[in-house]
Amino acid sequence: MKYVSSIFSILACSLFFAQQQQQTSTAGTFSSEDLIPLDAVTVFSINNISLLKKVSMDELVQYEFMAEVQSELFDGSTQGKTLKESGIDFDQKLNVFYGLNENFEIAGFTFGIKDKKQLFNVFDDFEPAASNIKGVEFYRSYSNYLIIKGNSGIVLRVDPSYEKVSVITDSIWYARGFGYFDDGTSEEDEYEEIDDYGYEIPSNSDIEEAENEVIEEEQIEGEMDETDLLSKNYWEMRDSITVELQSKYMTKICDDLFVKELNLKKQDPKLAAQLLHTSDGIFYLDNSRNFRNSRGLWHFQTLFPELFSDMKDLYTGNVMLGDIELKENSVDIYFEANYGESLGAIYEKLNSTKFDKNVLKYIHESSTGFFTYNINLKEGYNQAYDIIIPILSKEKDPRISSNVLMAELINEFVDTDALFETYKGSMFGSFNGIKKVKTTRIEFIYDENTFEYEEKEIQGEEDMPIFTLGFSTNRSDIPEKILKHFGRMTSRFKNMGSYWMVEDAVFNSVPLYIINKNGLLIFTNDEDLAKNHSDGYGSNALKGKRAKAAKSSKFMYGYFDWGVALSSLPREMFNTRQNEILDAMRGKTGVLELVSSDITKTKTKFNLTYNFDGTYDNSGKYLLDLVNSVYVLSK
Amino acid sequence: MKYFFGLLFLLFTMGSCVEIIDDLYVKSDGSGTFKYTVNLSSSVVKINSILALDSLDGRKVPSISEIQEKLNAYLTKLEKKEGLSNVKLDANYKDFIFKFQCEFTNVQVLQKAIKEIVQEENKNTEIKELDHNWLAWDGTKLVRSIPTMPEKITERMKKEDAEALQKGTYLSISRFDRTIEKYDNPVAKLSGNKLAILIKTNPYSLTQNTELLENTIYLSALKK
Repeated sequence: MKYVSSIFSILACSLFFAQQQQQTSTAGTFSSEDLIPLDAVTVFSINNISLLKKVSMDELVQYEFMAEVQSELFDGSTQGKTLKESGIDFDQKLNVFYGLNENFEIAGFTFGIKDKKQLFNVFDDFEPAASNIKGVEFYRSYSNYLIIKGNSGIVLRVDPSYEKVSVITDSIWYARGFGYFDDGTSEEDEYEEIDDYGYEIPSNSDIEEAENEVIEEEQIEGEMDETDLLSKNYWEMRDSITVELQSKYMTKICDDLFVKELNLKKQDPKLAAQLLHTSDGIFYLDNSRNFRNSRGLWHFQTLFPELFSDMKDLYTGNVMLGDIELKENSVDIYFEANYGESLGAIYEKLNSTKFDKNVLKYIHESSTGFFTYNINLKEGYNQAYDIIIPILSKEKDPRISSNVLMAELINEFVDTDALFETYKGSMFGSFNGIKKVKTTRIEFIYDENTFEYEEKEIQGEEDMPIFTLGFSTNRSDIPEKILKHFGRMTSRFKNMGSYWMVEDAVFNSVPLYIINKNGLLIFTNDEDLAKNHSDGYGSNALKGKRAKAAKSSKFMYGYFDWGVALSSLPREMFNTRQNEILDAMRGKTGVLELVSSDITKTKTKFNLTYNFDGTYDNSGKYLLDLVNSVYVLSK
Repeated sequence: MKYFFGLLFLLFTMGSCVEIIDDLYVKSDGSGTFKYTVNLSSSVVKINSILALDSLDGRKVPSISEIQEKLNAYLTKLEKKEGLSNVKLDANYKDFIFKFQCEFTNVQVLQKAIKEIVQEENKNTEIKELDHNWLAWDGTKLVRSIPTMPEKITERMKKEDAEALQKGTYLSISRFDRTIEKYDNPVAKLSGNKLAILIKTNPYSLTQNTELLENTIYLSALKK
């Protein structure tokens, strides 16, 4: 949940700043994008959202998600002020970034500065810090830094990795002759309890831990020379190491940015080119570095350096780039997934298939949302086998070698044709809104004469989202064998002729229906589809523009009518306050459409379009209502 | 204690239509039977969907086996209490109906056992609510009440939880082996055979006003 809040904070922060931006961007030779650190892996840069200018600041702060942004950014110190008075130069871009590597995590944003005095009325928690770089000013508030060069600034935070701090602290701790220190983090199922005001509520185990710590510290102090004031307990040492590492990494980042004048824009031509786009916003995500920096792979990197290097090559050039365009009645997002030729060869083979027209029969024309996913798993498997097995075969490690042998034997002995004829890889899914489904509940009925009570089964109805998920197959006989087996084993699997029914399969309460017909294996909780349309919806099936778009979109197509979905969600699902917020979106239309292009050896392109219409003051207000509604639903 | 709060939380958030029945049967010699039933069958879909999650609103959602384990632990503790016998729990995890029952030699024994378990669960920290006696029997009258809810539970209750609890029902039944002569709670209802008395409310009202269940029930004279 914290991650969702952070994403909303960044998104809202971007909207908040961008609301004030002017049509032109970039100022002079040094601009905010020149401060994006090399270690940033994800960048979201806002050029201009002129549509939002029509929304007043007073309206903005009324939104649910803004309360969080206001408090996180300005810590309540700017009550009664607006961003107009913040000293920020809205002629420059706002760039939000995030990065993670094996040493630290970095997050922050860069921006232009118009009036430094006004800026420090907003960032009033920041105190000046010593600077050893000429022309660069440093300010600090706890672990957050504000660094200013010329008319641009960067707010950033660097957190050393927990593992790294642990390794160093433990090493010093053992070297000083102390035993294993259990910091309690290995205890399973520890969850934070948060009260209504956002403060963590200490659980009993936390209190116990704290008490144990005091005891442990007392014991340690006893063991230490009481006159040795330099001796630190485990946690004090950990804090010192964290601060030391923070300082070391900050020095490295600042040296790169201000001494060597290296930044991500300079380092990666793909980002530099993307930043030149005149769209309203751009984004950049370097998946190849995500692969390299993935925490789970560090161990792998140490044990199998050559293999890691080969796999890294496979991921080279894996970068997602995108543009966002805000129009009067739509938001268009264009993004392309770039990759190297080896991975591209696998993706290309995956794409070598024809659209399975049967899926359209099972998508109702009034479906609220659906997707089709069209791949050739057999071709993809063969290509991946040809590329990955030679890489793995080079490795002399006995475990990897035996796994390679196992994969080769399976490939020889298993009838891969039968496997991939059964599960071809293509699939579809649809959401058909909320329907009432029959449920039973128990009520206690009491006798008026004695007040003795007994259970009575009452038939009831509950609102249930209706989903359908289907897979293309050329071997319907194989799933049928499995279903028959379960039918013999348990009475919950029932053969109903044209479909199978599994009782109490969904949340132990409602049945799941399985249709194994027409080259498709379909799972649904839609009784109507199973009972009355096991051969498809006929004349009510998806047709026209959307069917054509699904057929012509290469490996993926998605459609979701947000307006209809929101209106179909029962009001009882939400409390009074949530309903008030969602009412702002109810009755308006909003259609999301995802289209993919052909997969080539180096890239795949996607277009995501959100079209909206209906009664709204202006499209900027509509967008904010949308963001607010999604925020409320995700909370 | 985390599990206790977990169970309480689960009960509260799932309580779209929770039905609770507390049923106390006191014989003339002071012994009797206590039954406590929680019926969540009208929220089965919601419960199963929550149980499918690891955590909700930052709190861990216990698994069925953890709930079973915890309930069995309470049961074992109660079985060991002096003066209690035939301690049983009928837990139906399909419909989510839980029926607890035990026999006691006198109401004080029952009250003491419950207090001891709550105290043990709270690691012997002081709980002022436990100073209150909610059952008293002198052979001619039964005085019933319930302890006040800790303020932090009532104050921190979210609006949506309150709305859900308002839809539930709470039945408090007291039974005897001789007829009831009079009672002092005006909302209480006497059974046709005059051997039982019932107070019906909803769980939310109870959290706000624990006096709702207060009642002194006077019985007819004992036949010699």
